[in-house]
Amino acid sequence: MQPVPLYPDQPKADSMPLLLVNHQSEHMANVTDDELMLRQLFAQDARKGCALLFRRYYPNLVNHAVRFVYSKEVAEDLVAEVFTVFWQDRTFEQITTSYRAYLYKAVRHRAYNYLRWELRQSDSLELADEQSIPVSLQPDQMLHYSELHQKIESIIQSLPPQCQRAFLLSRIEGKKYAEIAQDLQISSSAVEKLLIRALGKLRQELKTDWFISLVFWGSIGSVSTWM
Amino acid sequence: MNSPLIKNIVFDFFDGKATAIQRKYIEAWLADEANQETYFQYLDEWEGQRPQFALDTDKAMASFEQVLLNTHPPAPQPKIVKHSPATGTIRWWGWSMAASVLLMSLLGGWLFRSQLLYKSYQTAYGQTTTFQLSDGTSVTLNANSMLRVPRFGFGNDTRDVFLKGEGAFNVTHKADNQRFVVRTDGNFQIEVLGTEFVVYARERGKRVFLNKGKVKLELPLGQQLYMKPGNVVTVANSGRYQLTQKAPARPYLAWKEHWFYFDNTTLTEVAEQIRERFGVQVVVTDTELAQRRIAGNFKAEKADDLLQILTELLNLTVVKTRNHIELRTSK
Repeated sequence: MQPVPLYPDQPKADSMPLLLVNHQSEHMANVTDDELMLRQLFAQDARKGCALLFRRYYPNLVNHAVRFVYSKEVAEDLVAEVFTVFWQDRTFEQITTSYRAYLYKAVRHRAYNYLRWELRQSDSLELADEQSIPVSLQPDQMLHYSELHQKIESIIQSLPPQCQRAFLLSRIEGKKYAEIAQDLQISSSAVEKLLIRALGKLRQELKTDWFISLVFWGSIGSVSTWM
Repeated sequence: MNSPLIKNIVFDFFDGKATAIQRKYIEAWLADEANQETYFQYLDEWEGQRPQFALDTDKAMASFEQVLLNTHPPAPQPKIVKHSPATGTIRWWGWSMAASVLLMSLLGGWLFRSQLLYKSYQTAYGQTTTFQLSDGTSVTLNANSMLRVPRFGFGNDTRDVFLKGEGAFNVTHKADNQRFVVRTDGNFQIEVLGTEFVVYARERGKRVFLNKGKVKLELPLGQQLYMKPGNVVTVANSGRYQLTQKAPARPYLAWKEHWFYFDNTTLTEVAEQIRERFGVQVVVTDTELAQRRIAGNFKAEKADDLLQILTELLNLTVVKTRNHIELRTSK
């Protein structure tokens, strides 16, 4: 941090003495309210508020959701759904936390339910559609979400290279089987097998210990619904 | 433990690098519900720093805008008709549905034609972002700014973009010497081949600072002007312009790192800059106070950061009302 070069013409004697300060402000946790503007906007025009909220948080929320569902398309849809419900159910009138905290919790909850549905192939997708998220999470549960996506990441990283490539091409770049087959110079059915293997690996590794601890509070979530 | 330290620990935890002891520590910290808010604030910041792929936010925004426009109050869910053989009425109903869907999409296409023709990059109040255009040019937008780039033909015949707000450009030079043109409101444009410069184009006027290379300005009154590195051209809304030969780069580039650069700047001007960057209306009614001057580099990511510094420096009181913030001398 360099001091500022002095301005050539000094201020006149009657004005304030020139103050030279280098100051880097620190984050004032819990004191500053960075969503104040948003809340004022919601009070005036909820539609504009929602639009601004979307623009502000959509990219980061998708970035977060994809860590769980590992599919760009699913992550995008999932976040858009959270915003749609937020608007249509007028959730913004009911929340007691910041918009940010609500959105992250809702996205995590949905992403987790989606993942569970995809890996178990169970028929409980209605659960995933439910917007109900626990009002307050236990600290341990909040941390568990991060650990879950780290675990998923390490499983993906440990896939055999060809399998990992096919998985990413399909789910992140949105390529079709035929395109992937061409890229990797294998047959379409081989691509399908690679993708099945990737999902199988996720299912097997997560089932052992990760889901058991998470499953039960998926059901807590549906009990303690929003008022 | 103070907050920067906690932030480091939480970030390490998100990265999967925290120790079990640190995890336990965060868990205890989260027991206070107020800290949960901070936790999500950190999470958002962390995600913002670790993008994993390019995302077409404009496209998603356009479809969400459809949702906002079309679905309020909540529309009743259409009932699924179970009996299968299509009777005359159902078929007619189906066709009319198809027709209205078509009509809606045509209408939507017309309403959102500028979204279809142009891709816009936008920054909210308090946010600066760097984008890379398809020709390799990088643009950093200051807060509350918008850059519009044609979706079709950009880089083929011309490279024309439209700017509202403030942006720093690093234009890639093309082998065929293709021009890059930045247009703004009020017949003002900057024409370059490949160079680095900063454009300010807001309500109060226009300003260009040239860091490297050479640019040609087309001024509102029809004049043309060539700039050399280190030059600053300020254009008033009246069309009058002023050229400064040797200006230091720092004051014009400081905002890229969220710095405010004040150099014998009046409080009125400071208030104006807060409004432009953060969208917060700051009022100074005391005329004597409004003329007080400050100098210094200040880093501020939120309006409150800067306001806090000002209050300490000038011994002020901040009065927050519904629509604006007033600065007064402390009694």
